[in-house]
Amino acid sequence: MTSAFLRAIVDTLLPGDHRTPPLPSGTAAGVATELEHLVAGLDGALHNVVLHAVATAAGGQEAFVRADALGRIASVRTVEAEMPGPFRALVAVVLQDYYEADVVLLAMGWRAEPPQPQGHAVQPFDEALLGPVRRRGRMWR
Amino acid sequence: MAKLDAVDVVVVGAGLGGSALCARLSERAPHLRIVCLERGDWVDRSAMPAYRRDWQSAALGAWATSPNVRLSAGGSRSADYPIDDSASPIKPLLWNGVGGSTINWAAHVPRLHPSDFRTKTLDGVGDDWPFSYFDLEPYYDLNDTAMGIAGLAGDPAYPPKRSPRMPPVAIGRMGEAAARGFNAMGWHWWPADAAINTVDRGDRHACNNGGPCLMGCPIQAKASADIVYWPVALRNGVELRTHCVAQHVIVKGGRAIGLAYRDGNGATHEQPAAFTVVACNGIGTARLLLASNIGRGADGALGRHLMFHPIAYARGMFTEELDGPRGPVGACVYSHEFYEHRPGRPFTRGLQLQVTRENAPLHQAARLEPAWGEDAHTRLREEFRHSLPVMVVAEDLPDARNRVALAEGVAADGLPNIRVEYTLSENSRRILDFGLDRAEDMLHAAGAYRVARVPLAPLTGWHLLGTARMGDDPATSVTDGRGRCHAVANLIVADGSLFPTAGAVNPGATIAALALKIGDDLAREVGR
Ligand SMILES: Cc1cc2nc3c(=O)[nH]c(=O)nc-3n(C[C@H](O)[C@H](O)[C@H](O)COP(=O)(O)OP(=O)(O)OC[C@H]3O[C@@H](n4cnc5c(N)ncnc54)[C@H](O)[C@@H]3O)c2cc1C
Ligand code: SF4
Repeated sequence: MTSAFLRAIVDTLLPGDHRTPPLPSGTAAGVATELEHLVAGLDGALHNVVLHAVATAAGGQEAFVRADALGRIASVRTVEAEMPGPFRALVAVVLQDYYEADVVLLAMGWRAEPPQPQGHAVQPFDEALLGPVRRRGRMWR
Repeated sequence: MAKLDAVDVVVVGAGLGGSALCARLSERAPHLRIVCLERGDWVDRSAMPAYRRDWQSAALGAWATSPNVRLSAGGSRSADYPIDDSASPIKPLLWNGVGGSTINWAAHVPRLHPSDFRTKTLDGVGDDWPFSYFDLEPYYDLNDTAMGIAGLAGDPAYPPKRSPRMPPVAIGRMGEAAARGFNAMGWHWWPADAAINTVDRGDRHACNNGGPCLMGCPIQAKASADIVYWPVALRNGVELRTHCVAQHVIVKGGRAIGLAYRDGNGATHEQPAAFTVVACNGIGTARLLLASNIGRGADGALGRHLMFHPIAYARGMFTEELDGPRGPVGACVYSHEFYEHRPGRPFTRGLQLQVTRENAPLHQAARLEPAWGEDAHTRLREEFRHSLPVMVVAEDLPDARNRVALAEGVAADGLPNIRVEYTLSENSRRILDFGLDRAEDMLHAAGAYRVARVPLAPLTGWHLLGTARMGDDPATSVTDGRGRCHAVANLIVADGSLFPTAGAVNPGATIAALALKIGDDLAREVGR
């Protein structure tokens, strides 16, 4: 599996988004490098099947790389329809790497640090909102 | 099989029911020798993922709420067994270890309503409980005090609650948006009762709104049975044996004489006991008792009448910025406007509308369709920190066809394999549809410009109830009102499987109260 092919797959699944705030592409977020490690490792077998199927649908890895965005999407959709389970598993690992990348979380206006130890600030509760409910009579039987 | 020294009481399962019972019984009858067998281990809070950068993917693997997902991911701290849930649209979720499913619960702890104990008498459906809300009330109060409850007094949906409360968990922008909607509709709502510290108490810190309570709370703000009940039970001399899987209850001449169990090294032991208590939850208890042949013959109800709380979601999209995944995920605000049965509605009994916090970005992205391509970015942009989920929690009525049954083969833990057979009833479907319509009304009134629906959410089998139900009739129930098996009087159940009906609220407070009551009943019988 060539690196150019894996990068093309990753950026088809996770294209950059230029709206505001802009989001990096999967490759820019480091996902392609992670995927290269994964498919080279022991757990890569299932994902390799999907990747090979995409290459076949496109007429080869190089053809996929050369194709325009619409052509790549068409090849990926063919495989998604052919093997939905394994395809979903590939998408899941790609999403994991993407949405755990600092650069993506920050681009989304979120933060890179995990929930602890800082926690989050949540505004205090305005009890006056409960006025109408407090004025109701007993509801229980 | 090595025969051990006899004890007075052997308890199986150090989860919510088992822990509460051990603490109470050891307090009320200190002379008893009590041993608790737990298949899992203590959870190591420093290993909880909330401090790690990969915390989001941990929740999809070794720290998932589903035992089946954890088993396939490998590396979990929960001592899981596989559950064949292919014949159920709702998948069972739980934790196997000291503290049981309270390790990953959301700690939203509403009580049942008084009417929930009398559904047959009041509404002609289900069955009455063998006692009333007011009989259980002192035990609800005891559990509140033990766990520490954040909440607000004065909810008109309930009789006054006497136990003290910490200030409620911050409801945040999402709670306030929902409050606006409920108020505009003229409907009831109230901030959740949560077993979550909002002030520091001893070793347990105040919640800092980190969010992912379902992966455990590393700062102990969230109450769980391991940190609430076990310190008491251990101090009182209860012996807890971890990594010990009960294999079967040994019954002779109609009495339980003890238990066979397998320890962490694979050795089997016989633990003789005057009383055997089983508290392995709605699935584990049925599995152990069926494997012990308790359910064959007269006790035909064993494993049957499985109730979940079927869940649907209405998710409102707002232009204003909301909190997203900030704050304890399950404890925000709820509405009991449609909780009580009302003739003329297209269903019997009722529902809870529970406003929750949102998922983390990865979890939100992973459930969206499409999950990839430009449209996926568009969908997530729309939702992230702009969506407000409302969970419709339906009361599931007991139905003997819904059950936990033994399956072919033996699992790695030595017990028979288990499968869940469950079909969503017409009544539950109508409740969910009605609830979705009402949630949508509320969300629009609160300012949502669009509402997306999930008609039945599969990964919501948090509440496993009814499979060893209490009742008077051995043909339709497994135990009496004190949790004693009809077939074997000194075999006692003390967990969620006892529920004759489920109400439409989370069951934890009621499970704990029940187990405390059963502990008291047993202490009274054996003398203090
Ligand atoms: C993700 C999640 C969120 C939840 N959120 C809430 C909530 O917000 N509010 C609420 O009220 N409820 C909630 N619940 C449900 C609540 O946690 C359970 O209803 C409650 O813990 C069940 O108590 P139990 O005693 O019946 O069983 P458990 O607490 O599940 O304990 C059973 C114990 O038995 C042990 N065991 C099983 N088989 C054996 C065996 N053969 N030998 C030895 N040990 C055995 C298990 O390891 C476990 O420790 C949630 C549950 C989950 C999973
Ligand atoms: S949100 Fe609060 S209760 Fe939940 S895990 Fe975080 S600190 Fe604990």
